[in-house]
Amino acid sequence: MESNRTFLTQLQILTKRLLLRVIRRPLAELPNIFISAFFLFVYDGALGGVFGGSAQGTPFDFANGNFVNFILPVSIVSASVSGGASGIYLVEDIESGVFKRYQSMPISKWAIILAPMLVGALRVLLQAGLIMVIGKIIGADPAVGAVGYFMVLSIAFLWGMGFAGYSVAAGVRSGSSQGAQAASFLFFPALFLAPTFVPREALRGWLATASAYNPTTYVIEAMRAIMVDGWINDIIFKGFIAAGSFAALTLTFAVLSARKATEKA
Amino acid sequence: MLAVDVKNIKKTFTSKQDTVEAVKDVSFQVKQGEIFGLLGPNGAGKSTTILMLTTLLSITDGKASILGIDVETQEKQVREKIGVALQDTGIDNLLTSKELFFTTCRLWGYNKSDSEKRTEELLELVGLTEAADRRVKTYSGGMKRRLDLGLSLVHSPEILFLDEPTTGLDPGSRRVLWDEIKRLRDTGVTVILTTQYLEEADELADRIAIIDEGLVVAEGTSDELKASIGGDVITFLFETEEDIIKAQQVLTDSVQEKMELRITVEDGASKIPGYLKELTSAGIEVSSVSASKPTLDDVFLEVTGYRLEGSEEPVEETPTSTRGR
Repeated sequence: MESNRTFLTQLQILTKRLLLRVIRRPLAELPNIFISAFFLFVYDGALGGVFGGSAQGTPFDFANGNFVNFILPVSIVSASVSGGASGIYLVEDIESGVFKRYQSMPISKWAIILAPMLVGALRVLLQAGLIMVIGKIIGADPAVGAVGYFMVLSIAFLWGMGFAGYSVAAGVRSGSSQGAQAASFLFFPALFLAPTFVPREALRGWLATASAYNPTTYVIEAMRAIMVDGWINDIIFKGFIAAGSFAALTLTFAVLSARKATEKA
Repeated sequence: MLAVDVKNIKKTFTSKQDTVEAVKDVSFQVKQGEIFGLLGPNGAGKSTTILMLTTLLSITDGKASILGIDVETQEKQVREKIGVALQDTGIDNLLTSKELFFTTCRLWGYNKSDSEKRTEELLELVGLTEAADRRVKTYSGGMKRRLDLGLSLVHSPEILFLDEPTTGLDPGSRRVLWDEIKRLRDTGVTVILTTQYLEEADELADRIAIIDEGLVVAEGTSDELKASIGGDVITFLFETEEDIIKAQQVLTDSVQEKMELRITVEDGASKIPGYLKELTSAGIEVSSVSASKPTLDDVFLEVTGYRLEGSEEPVEETPTSTRGR
């Protein structure tokens, strides 16, 4: 046997195992991709003619003539919720006894916890990337150029890791798949208490107030700046900060929860 | 050096509602190369004992060591020495057994080519070569147990812990697993297994500890335990409740079980005529009478006061499928 059973090797082996599980259940990937793509097509079809921009002769110009650019961030944010599967992977291992088997071996407990998070992250990149490809096909064109795709994907990745962290924490604390799945229920209020369909300036009353405190607002606004307006650095920066802070907060919560769950009773 | 040395270990679970003493006081020693059986009913503390010895639960009080290594303070070193197959099989149903062996080999530190070789060896060892490329969800209960056993052997452990290895298996699959466990013992592996099957303890274990309510109530070889209750067991069968009640006045040390009374005496066969004469004189009709050597079942009854119910009734084996999402 090799003497270099390093943390990274263990993490790589455990991640590969979980990826095999993902590949073996392709149908589990479809609903979230389908919903995200559905949002893109339906919102573009339903709202593009109204908010699509003066170039198309529409009443309002939110999109500099390209409504796909404006609405694509909503679908990307939706796709990034797929990071919430991390907690489900972990709970499945706990429920099946696989987690306990690994605990009885000389393996780093952090490798056991981080592997599902890493797979969740890859899932976010894959799903958000796929939605971007669909967006590109139907006419998306970032105002900042091709680098915009990379920047939007980076924000989506951070946002998705936030959901991954929350689902892992909820999963290990509740010990159930339902607990882990609760992460996806956070998504809907987070998405719709934000400037989803119109810019924040067009919101009013309590929704305008709620959206100001909702980090999703800043994530969507940053993505829209990249896609629609160009280099508006402070808005883009706020988006990265909101998504990064969400990820840092929930991942810390996940680590603390996992530490408690892996302590010997 | 002892393979396992357990001294007065205790395990208490404390919650907001109450405190439960799952293991009150358990001590035993296991020599290298023997099969040691922990026999007891559900809830006796067998699995909790195993979880403590395999470093998965902390020990509330007492000391335990594996090959001289302290279980509480040297977890990592202990884990290097042991193989563990717990009650929940801990198998990923979506993968094939070949993938599971390979992954486990890699986690134990084998390089890729050694992992491939070891995977083939272990598939052969547990008789799963032909099913190696099938997903585990298509396996029968017996195949999953064999796979579980194989996975616990990847790193050639010196000591193997098996928690109820044949629970839920049909008699044929049980026998296959017993043969494999004996073969492992013959190659020098020390095996500590828990069971609620008397027959399994009798057949497999070189020495047995009977655990009841978190305490070791008897320990020894199967023959020693049987000899400890002394003599032979005479079983009297009666037709009516009335006869049993009257017979208990005559057979004062007897234990009733359904329509039978049992007494344990030296040289049972020679004493049957005398008992029959006494019973007949008292107007009691005896349907049948027999004398036999004590079984492990009798030992269990003697030391715990009750029988290990349902211990000889394995569950039908059926292939299982994975949970869908």
